[in-house]
Amino acid sequence: MLFFRSEERVREWCAAHGYPMRPLVTMDQLWTLATTWYSTRLQENSRRPQPDEMRSIFARLGLADDFWDPHSDNFG
Amino acid sequence: MSFDTQTKLAIYRHFAETGQRPSLRVIAERVRADVSSVREAYARLRAQRVLVLEPDGVSIRMAPPFSGVSNQHVVIVDETKYFANCAWDSFGIPAALHRPGRVHSRCEQSGEPLSLEIGLEGPPPCSWLFHCLVPAARWWDDIVFT
Repeated sequence: MLFFRSEERVREWCAAHGYPMRPLVTMDQLWTLATTWYSTRLQENSRRPQPDEMRSIFARLGLADDFWDPHSDNFG
Repeated sequence: MSFDTQTKLAIYRHFAETGQRPSLRVIAERVRADVSSVREAYARLRAQRVLVLEPDGVSIRMAPPFSGVSNQHVVIVDETKYFANCAWDSFGIPAALHRPGRVHSRCEQSGEPLSLEIGLEGPPPCSWLFHCLVPAARWWDDIVFT
């Protein structure tokens, strides 16, 4: 889970390592993910999102393909 | 509050206060228990995916979003230096602490440095991107690689 300056830099990095290019996430989307996962982490009632919740969280952000589905075995 | 929750909170609060991973003994003192009981709690917390341990079973590699080891993802909050496990977790530290902070990292391809001020409402407009190589269903197969 890494930062890149641009889509072109992601493309170069994937090609250099022989990795598939995955869906890209903006900084605003990343902030939403970070707050959803971690804003209660220091509290007694904190818990990680469960798989069905994860799917809903990703879908609300427009991250709805199989790559983001914690139950999927079809990653494209 | 259960013993496991006390242990988890003691670990996370130590990270929040110091930026560094606690030793087993420090956590045992904090929860007023013997180290063997705390070690057993560590294993249960690992199974719940709230801790990642080194092979010795007692050194904390990850208490997400906090990292127990140094890397390129550095976050400064209120003059305390933290290491995050990844790009996602670098945003997660200000989110967990409910404090503004500055994220320092880099473009993984070019090495260009990233320095981003994170406010209570998130980052300013920014064209940088986040890329996750591992599908969500496989994140915990090897969470360190993920």
